[in-house]
Amino acid sequence: MKTNELHPPQWANRVLRWLHPEDTLEEVEGDLEELYAYWYERAGKGQATWRYLLNVASVLPPFVRRRERKQAYHNPFLIQPSMLRNYFTIAFRTLAHNKVYSSINVIGLSIGLAAAMLIMLYTKDEVSFDRFHANNPHIYRITSKQFTPAGAFQSYNTHTGYLQGPKFAAGVPEIKMSVRYQSDRSDIKVGTEVKSFESFHADSSFFALFSFPLVSGNPATALREPKSVVLSEEMAEKQFGTTNALGKILLVRNSNGDSKEFEPYTVTGIAKKCPQNSSIKFDFLFPYVVSKEDMANEGNWFNFFQNTFVVLEPNANLKKVEATMNRIFEKDAKQAMEEEVKRFGPQSKMKYMLQPFTDMHLNKDMPAQNGLVDGSNPMFSYILSGIALFILLIACINFVNLTVARSLKRAKEIGVRKVVGGGRAQLMMQFLGESFILCFLAFGFALLLVQMVLPTFNELSNKALAFSYLFDAKLIAGYFALFAATGLLAGFYPALVLSNYNPVQTLYSRFNLSGKNYLQKGLVVLQFALASFLIIATLTIYSQFNYLTNKDLGYNDKGIVMVNKSGLSRNEAKVFKDELLKNQNIRDVAPKNGGNWYTVAKVNGQTEINFAYETVDATYFPLLQIPIIKGRNFSAEFNSDSTSSILVNETFVKKAGWTNPLGQVVDFWYNEGEKYKVVGVVKDFHFESLNAKISPQLFTMKPGNQYGKVFIKIKEGSETASLSHLAKTYKKLFPTNPYEYKFMDEENEKRYESEAKWKQIMLFGAILTIFISCIGLFGLATLSAERRTKEIGIRKVLGASVASITTLLSADFLKLVSLSFVFAFPVAYYAIKEWLENYPYRIDISVWTFVIAAALSILIAFFTVSFQSIKAALGNPVKSLKAE
Amino acid sequence: MRRTYLGEFEEVVLLMVAILDGEAYGVTVSQALEEHTGRVVTFGTVHNTLIRLEEKGFVGSELGGATNERGGRRKRLFHVTALGNRALQEIQQLRQQLWQLLPPTKLQLNSL
Repeated sequence: MKTNELHPPQWANRVLRWLHPEDTLEEVEGDLEELYAYWYERAGKGQATWRYLLNVASVLPPFVRRRERKQAYHNPFLIQPSMLRNYFTIAFRTLAHNKVYSSINVIGLSIGLAAAMLIMLYTKDEVSFDRFHANNPHIYRITSKQFTPAGAFQSYNTHTGYLQGPKFAAGVPEIKMSVRYQSDRSDIKVGTEVKSFESFHADSSFFALFSFPLVSGNPATALREPKSVVLSEEMAEKQFGTTNALGKILLVRNSNGDSKEFEPYTVTGIAKKCPQNSSIKFDFLFPYVVSKEDMANEGNWFNFFQNTFVVLEPNANLKKVEATMNRIFEKDAKQAMEEEVKRFGPQSKMKYMLQPFTDMHLNKDMPAQNGLVDGSNPMFSYILSGIALFILLIACINFVNLTVARSLKRAKEIGVRKVVGGGRAQLMMQFLGESFILCFLAFGFALLLVQMVLPTFNELSNKALAFSYLFDAKLIAGYFALFAATGLLAGFYPALVLSNYNPVQTLYSRFNLSGKNYLQKGLVVLQFALASFLIIATLTIYSQFNYLTNKDLGYNDKGIVMVNKSGLSRNEAKVFKDELLKNQNIRDVAPKNGGNWYTVAKVNGQTEINFAYETVDATYFPLLQIPIIKGRNFSAEFNSDSTSSILVNETFVKKAGWTNPLGQVVDFWYNEGEKYKVVGVVKDFHFESLNAKISPQLFTMKPGNQYGKVFIKIKEGSETASLSHLAKTYKKLFPTNPYEYKFMDEENEKRYESEAKWKQIMLFGAILTIFISCIGLFGLATLSAERRTKEIGIRKVLGASVASITTLLSADFLKLVSLSFVFAFPVAYYAIKEWLENYPYRIDISVWTFVIAAALSILIAFFTVSFQSIKAALGNPVKSLKAE
Repeated sequence: MRRTYLGEFEEVVLLMVAILDGEAYGVTVSQALEEHTGRVVTFGTVHNTLIRLEEKGFVGSELGGATNERGGRRKRLFHVTALGNRALQEIQQLRQQLWQLLPPTKLQLNSL
C-alpha cells in the first residue's frame, strides 16, 4: 500500500500529460513523481500534494520552455529547379493519364470561369456607365420630390420643363451651365419618302457639358442656329451615304407638331457614335428652341416633360446648391403656384434635388427615362453574378471531389515522396501547383468560350460588349484575382488532404478511403441543391411568362393592325375608314387617341379620381370584342353622346363606389361646365401590360380630343392583301406622314421582353449548372465503379444480376441527390414567392413545379450515374478478378 | 571569444550540474539547490533553465536508461560541456581579478 500512497494526484498528472510538450514529458513526469516522494517523506502528504500541484503548474504552458527540435536531416530550399521540373512532368503525366478526369475538370472550370468573366465584363460596364464625361463627377440631373399638401412623401420626379435649367443656372453661382435635353420625333423627307426617327433637342452648351466628340463641325457653335442639326456618323451615312455631310441640307418636320411643311435644316456637326455605356444616345440632335412667351410664363414651372442637366463647380456644396435652387423656385413660381391652387385646389408641394449623372443608370426610383436609354435594374447584376458564382462554385466542387476521390491512386506516390524526404509543405505546393496548371488550361479555354458566346450574351443582357473590353487594366487584374481564387479554392483542400497521408499506411496498402467521406457527400448535395434551385426558378419563370403571354387580356388582339397618324381629325378619320372599308379584307376600323392619356376628375360631387382617359368612337369596343356589361355603347342614334356621354370600366365603378353606375356624373371641374353622364360600363380589360394592375378607365368621344392612331381589324389570312391596301390608302391620304404598321398581338408580346430575357438567362444558368454537376457526378461514379471492380466481379461470380449491381452503384448517389431537395426546396419556394410578388397577375406556386424539378434532377443524375454503373456491371468478372 | 551572457541563476544551476558530476537531473539539481543555497524554486524554473543552458551550449544531455524506479520513466541526465567548463572558469577568474583590485581596507570597513 505504501507505493499507492506515494502516488501524486491522478488528475494533476493527467493535466500534465495533456498539456506538457510531448518531447520532455517522460523525464518531467518522472522527476516530478520522484520529487513528490521526496516531499512526502520530508513534509507529509498535504505539503507534498500542494507542492506537487504548484510544480506541475510551473511546467505547463505558458511557463514551460520547449526544447528546440533538432533537425534530423538537411532541409533543402523548397524550390529547386529539378524538383520543379519533376512536378511539371508528374502533373502533365497525371493529367494525360486520366483523360476523363482532366477533361471534366477543365470543361467544368472553363465554363465556370467563362461565366464569371462575362459577369465581370457586364458589371464593369454597368458600373462604368456615364463615367466617361470630362465633367464627371460634377454633372447632375435636376430632379424633384413631391409631397402631398399634408407633407407626406409622394413620389420622385425626374422631369423638368423649360424654366428650371436656365433659371437655376442664372440664380445659383455654383452652377456652371445647364442643358435641357428633350426627346422628340422628327419626320425626315428624302425624295418623296418620309420616315420618322427619334430625335432630341438640346441647348447649345450640350457639347461643352457632355463629352461627345464631333468628327466634324464646331462643338461650340453646332447647336447655335435654330435650323441646324447634328447627326451621328451612322445616321449621316444613312442619309447622305457619307460621313462628310457638313453643310448639307436635311428636310425635317416635327412628327408631333401641327405643321405639315418640311423645313430645311443644315447639318452643322457629325458626332462620333455614342459609347455603349452612355445613357444619352442620339442620332439627330436639334437646337433647343423655346419661345419668349414660354420662358416668360411662370405656369411653365409646372410643366414637366424633359431632362435637365447641370454641371457644378468642383468644390460646390450640394446641400447649399439645392437649398438655393428651392429658394429660387419658391420666389419665382409663387404666383403660378397660387394660380394652381386657385384652379385645382391644394397642390402637392415639391422640392428640387440634384441627382448625380452617374447614379441614373441603376436607380429604380429615379431611372434614366424620357429619352435617356438603357436604364438598368441592379437586381439584374445581382442575379447574373449569383448564377455565375453558382456555376464557378459547382465547378470547383467537382475539382475538389474528383481530386480527393482520385487520391487513392496517388497515395503510393505521396508515400514514396514522403519516404525520400518530401515535406508536407513541398507536397502541398506540388498539388496546389497541379490545380493551378489545370486552372490555367481552363482559363485559356474560358477566354475562347467568352469570345464565342459574347454575341449571345449581349443579346440576353441588352448590351454591346466587345471582346476588346477585356483588355482593361482593372479587368485583367480582376481576372488574375479570379484565376488565383479559383486555383486556391479548388486546390487547397485536396492539397491539404493529400499531403496528410501517412507514408507507412499508404505504402503497406493498408489504406482505406472508403470511410464516411462526409465532405464529398456534402459537396454533392450542395451541387444538386444549387442545380435544383435553378431548375425550379426556371420552371417558375417559364410558367409565369406563359401566363403573361397567354392570359386572356379581356379583348381580342388577333388580326388587329395599328397605324399611327398624329393629329387625326374626325373628318380624316372618317375618310380613312371609308377608303379602307372598300377592301373586303378589312373588317372594321376604329380610331383612338395616340399615346396614353391620364387625367383627373371628380365623382360624387367631391371625390377626385385618377384614370386613363381614352378618346374612342363607337366601333372601338366591338372591334376589340370588349363586352359592355351594363348600359350601352356609344351610338350614332344619340346625338348627344359625343358631348355628354362616357363609358367607364369596372375598376372605375369600384373606385367611385357606385352601386348603380348608369346615369352617374363625372365632373371635369377645371374645365368650366364639362360634365358627363355614364351611359355604360365595360368589362375590365388589360389595356396596359399585365405587370400593372388594371386602373380606372374612362372613354369619351369628345370632339375636341384628337385621334392619334387607328385599329384595323383584318380578315384572317388576308395579311398581305390587307396590308398592301392599308399602305396604299395611307400613303394616298397622308402622303407627308411616315407610314408604319404594327400587329397588336406582337406588340403585346413585346411587353414581356424583359421576362423573356430572364427566362432565357435562367434556362442557360440551369442547363450549365446541371451539366457541370452531372459531369462531376459522372466522374465520381466512374471512380467509385473503378474502385469496386473486384467487389463487382465477386458479386457477379456469386450470381448478382446486372440490375442489382447497377442499383447498388447508383443508389448512393441518388440518395444524395434526393437529400439535396431538402435544402433546395424551401429556399426556392421563398425565392420564387418573392419574385412572383412583383406581378399583380401571377401564377400560383404549384406543387408540380417541385415534383417536376425533383423528377428531372433525379432522372438526369440517374442517367449520368447509371451509364458507369451499367458499364461496370456488364464487365466480365474474369477480367476484373484476374487483373492485379 | 563570443561571450554568452550567463544569468546569476543560470550560473548557479550550471555549478550544480558540475558539482553533481554525471548525476545531475531535474530532481537532484532542485534538491542540491535547496540544500546548498537554501533557495526553494519551482521545478519549472529548474527545468526551463536547464533547457536554456543546453540551448546556449553550456550543458549537454542524454536520456538515461529506464529503471524500475519512477515507473520505468527515463531520466534526462545533464553534464557540463567544454564550453560550460570554460565559462565557469572565466567567471571564476574574472571574480578573482576583481577581488584583487578591491582595496583591503574597504573590505574590512564594509565587513564592519
